[in-house]
Amino acid sequence: MKFRSYGIPAIIVAIILTIGGAAYLTSRLFSDLTNSVEQSRFAIMQQIMQTALNDAGSKALARAELVADMPEVKRLFAARDRAGLMATLKTAFEDQKARYGIAQGQFHIAPATSFLRLHAPDTFGDDLTKFRPLVVAANRDHLPMKAVAIGKSGPAIFGITPVDDESGHALGTFEFGLAFEPMLASLKNAYGLDFALFIDEKPLIEFATGVDPEKLGEQNRVGKFIRFESTNTELMSALVVAQDLAALSEPAPLVRDFNGLARGVMLLPINNASGTMIGVLAAAADFSGTRAAASQSAIWQGVITFIAILMLSGFVIVVLNGYLLRPLQLLADRFAALSKGDPVAAIADSERFPNELRPMVEVLDQLSGQQNDTGSKA
Amino acid sequence: MNWRKICAAFCFVWAACTAQAQDLPRDAGLPLTVQAAVALAALNDFDENAGSFEATIDLRLRWRDLRLMRTDGNMSAPPNTFRDAAAQERMAQIWTPHVVLANQLGDATEGGLGLRIFSDGTVEVLRRLRANFSVNVDVDRFPFDRQKLTIEVVVNDRSTNEVILRTSQSDLDFSKVARGVSLSEWRPGVVDLISVPLAGWYNSSNARIVASVDLTREPGLPVASIFIPLIACLLIPLLALWLNRMEEGVFQIDTFELVNIAIGGFFAVIALNFTVLSNYPALANGDNAVMRLLALNYATLAGALVINILFKRFGVIAKLFGLYVQEQTYNLMLWMLPVCLAALVTAILWVAYV
Repeated sequence: MKFRSYGIPAIIVAIILTIGGAAYLTSRLFSDLTNSVEQSRFAIMQQIMQTALNDAGSKALARAELVADMPEVKRLFAARDRAGLMATLKTAFEDQKARYGIAQGQFHIAPATSFLRLHAPDTFGDDLTKFRPLVVAANRDHLPMKAVAIGKSGPAIFGITPVDDESGHALGTFEFGLAFEPMLASLKNAYGLDFALFIDEKPLIEFATGVDPEKLGEQNRVGKFIRFESTNTELMSALVVAQDLAALSEPAPLVRDFNGLARGVMLLPINNASGTMIGVLAAAADFSGTRAAASQSAIWQGVITFIAILMLSGFVIVVLNGYLLRPLQLLADRFAALSKGDPVAAIADSERFPNELRPMVEVLDQLSGQQNDTGSKA
Repeated sequence: MNWRKICAAFCFVWAACTAQAQDLPRDAGLPLTVQAAVALAALNDFDENAGSFEATIDLRLRWRDLRLMRTDGNMSAPPNTFRDAAAQERMAQIWTPHVVLANQLGDATEGGLGLRIFSDGTVEVLRRLRANFSVNVDVDRFPFDRQKLTIEVVVNDRSTNEVILRTSQSDLDFSKVARGVSLSEWRPGVVDLISVPLAGWYNSSNARIVASVDLTREPGLPVASIFIPLIACLLIPLLALWLNRMEEGVFQIDTFELVNIAIGGFFAVIALNFTVLSNYPALANGDNAVMRLLALNYATLAGALVINILFKRFGVIAKLFGLYVQEQTYNLMLWMLPVCLAALVTAILWVAYV
């Protein structure tokens, strides 16, 4: 067995296993860290969407309660004076619509009949029971409520409150609905995320008859959903595809590439007041920074590991070869020559050989001296 | 006398009405929402070294002025449309937001002006202009970098208490890179709009929309013209090692000849350094693959010089550890150094790519 062929490779393999193993474990730890950073970003994205929906519902409800408490509104609603209510609230509603995204305002009579739509005053008297469970529940339970729903003018975040007369008798309910578009735009400005709202096509077409038909076109169809709003259509249409939404029942994260950059997408199902899923809100964030940092770290770690293995192996090779194997080879060559009776040249720098080899050098010197003496006598 | 009074009164009323029409529309309350959209019609030039680009853009602004609503009740009538001089003349009579492009450099060349006034009082101004814009260039990932060309639309004479800029779905749909827009060495991506108010004085702010277009560099040309010479230069110090030979621990070639190779290599790298940074001065201001490879070249040349002098001229390793340790160390460096360099070069390029 040749030590150079087996001994040194065995040491190098041990070095590779030790350093490689340590590097692998470290990279796993770093990878877990990156994953946890991404998971926490997904959690924050979900929280942002949920909080925004909740806050929007509260804003709609606060405004609705303010209107419902106005004595003039109570009086006109009690008198079922549609024209009077419209005249009283028209300007205020238009201001709210223009500047604060209040897209819908509506009075209802129990169980769920539209009395007056401030956003569409010519349409009233229709029964909302089938597609507005929130209106039914608020009238039935006599409670203020908030939820996302698909109204005649499209999906919105509604806040609904009972309207009572001065003696406390229920007159009906009043609601405000906040449009998604300004909410998503302000979320994008605040957090730098992109958003898209997908609404189930079937109820949208059936109930939201006042929606611009262009929005329901083929270009916005994503499986059984319609991409109703988006803060960046090109990006969001590439990131969220029909299969992602098809079987969604709870919040789900996913990571997709867009133009070579990793994007994290959080999908949040949106339920109406009766708990039926009517759409999905999607938020997308640029994950390329964390992904690039993780990849760069992995690359440098790999290279450093590789160079460390090379240097340690090189050190072992230099020490074993330089101090032991190469001197042994020189000694062996000279002993072989000596045994054949060939002349033996002195080994250069043999005085720097390790002490363990010194006796062999001395024996070689003696034997070569004897050979020289014998040669000269002959 | 009476005629004079009547004329004066008429002029006063007319002037008052005109001035009122040019005031900020307050009928729907404040702040007034102006919807902004920016489309990229052409990308004429991008100078990454100067940090500027020249583009032809369509800027669309829409707002509602109830004073301009039709009074005859015919809300389905088509909008009144004005072009160029007629639009300018009409715009002088109504309120329009004082919008500037905050990162514009120099004067713009106007390419057209359109004004439409709809029956419900919605006003739409469409401007085409060609201008230079400043841009922050980040070449950390050169030659696999992406740049974000931005155009900042700012309302500079009104605070956000009076006028705000918003983007709706229609604005997002409008804000696109025109089909066929191309730029040598770059591939344009999508346009994004975001509202970022600009901090003003006395705790106020001005409305600002930042439109940005992603550009991805086509790495072919930089790789051929910069990276191949940089990698080739790394062979010079290796030659200074490989050309020597050793017999029983003793070097056979004079140090002088090999050191000459390394010194020649220094001049080659300095020349390459100068050439690259003359063509791409932006690369000098940061940490990127080119600067790293240049640093690696200098370090390797310095290493080759030190090895030649220490090993061959002064025999430091031989004196310290013996002739055969020096022999083995030198033999090891003949293959270990190129392998380490190859690993480092791969890592530098890969890190820029990911």
